[in-house]
Amino acid sequence: MKFDITQQESFSRSELLLRTFLGWLYIAVPHTLVLFFVGIWSTILHFIAWWVILFTGRYPASFFEFHVKMLAWTMRLHAVTWNLADGYPAIGLAGSHPAVALDVPYPESLSRAKLLLRAFFGVIYVSIPHGFCLYFRMLATSFLNFLSWWSILFSGQIPANWFQFNVGTLRWMLRLNLYMANMTDDYPPFSGKPIPAAVETAAA
Amino acid sequence: MSEAITLPQAHELSQREKDDALAAYLMNFAAWGAGLPIPSLNLIAAWVYFLINRRKSRFVAFHCFQACTSQIPTTLFNIVGVGMFVDYVLILNRDLPRIFWPYVAFAVLTNLIYLGSSIYACVLAAKGRVHYFLVFGRWAYARYYGPNAVGLETKAAPGNLPPAGF
Repeated sequence: MKFDITQQESFSRSELLLRTFLGWLYIAVPHTLVLFFVGIWSTILHFIAWWVILFTGRYPASFFEFHVKMLAWTMRLHAVTWNLADGYPAIGLAGSHPAVALDVPYPESLSRAKLLLRAFFGVIYVSIPHGFCLYFRMLATSFLNFLSWWSILFSGQIPANWFQFNVGTLRWMLRLNLYMANMTDDYPPFSGKPIPAAVETAAA
Repeated sequence: MSEAITLPQAHELSQREKDDALAAYLMNFAAWGAGLPIPSLNLIAAWVYFLINRRKSRFVAFHCFQACTSQIPTTLFNIVGVGMFVDYVLILNRDLPRIFWPYVAFAVLTNLIYLGSSIYACVLAAKGRVHYFLVFGRWAYARYYGPNAVGLETKAAPGNLPPAGF
């Protein structure tokens, strides 16, 4: 899985202020409204995909593409609302954002044993440990988001390491989502750093 | 369209088509997946799935159409049952009529038969084969493979024209 957000040379102060004061109206409301219904459909497809994997060992390709597009949508929404990218996040599955790149390889086969393990014990060995770590990481991310806001306001930029840390939080959440949604069999690492391509290939 | 279209054989179908076709029958479980015990939700899900897949391939569209239309009777039975219960018990606060429990038994039996048929059709669809439901199977076949089968082509968007008079 590859996820990255390209850091802009400089961020727009006017967009920052617009997002801060009116973002709820022109970003949150329309996206939440549409995502609510798409989310219901996504839940249904996840449920059906679970049964299909159990009997065939494969994730239906069209369902997989739908979920990847939906994840890309939520990621570009996060990127903009966390002030990691300027511009308006496109509404809909077909949309894209020039700064946000997501690539999730389609797994040709998935383990039925891991599927059952996740369904019955996923809370214990995935959700609790990752949730615990992500809780503290999210606190740090929120703090950095707050600092980044002031940094953009005064200098129009975000320090690269703050930016990478926040992108890493999104990457961690994304990996966790992919694993719990049965879209990959690779246990998510306790890190937000990108996995080098060589390591990923070797694992596959 | 005037000529009948040949029904594809299992080896002529892609894995993706088979997966999409089998998922059409699993829309019967949509209400469980969404956690919303609404009797019509399965039908809505099957209809949405049909709308998404109706132009993908004839094989997929056939199964989606059959899965969607064949749900109509059981959905109606379920709606009547739930409606009767809500009307008598929750709204009118009266005892249920004598016919209610025999009706529930009939509805449960119908649902079980339909569930079994769906699972059977689902397994066959996964293998690239077709199973024809009573009435709805012929209807779906006529719609996608019959002499007057519908086309899968999308209509070309009308081009932009200057205002009338120019």
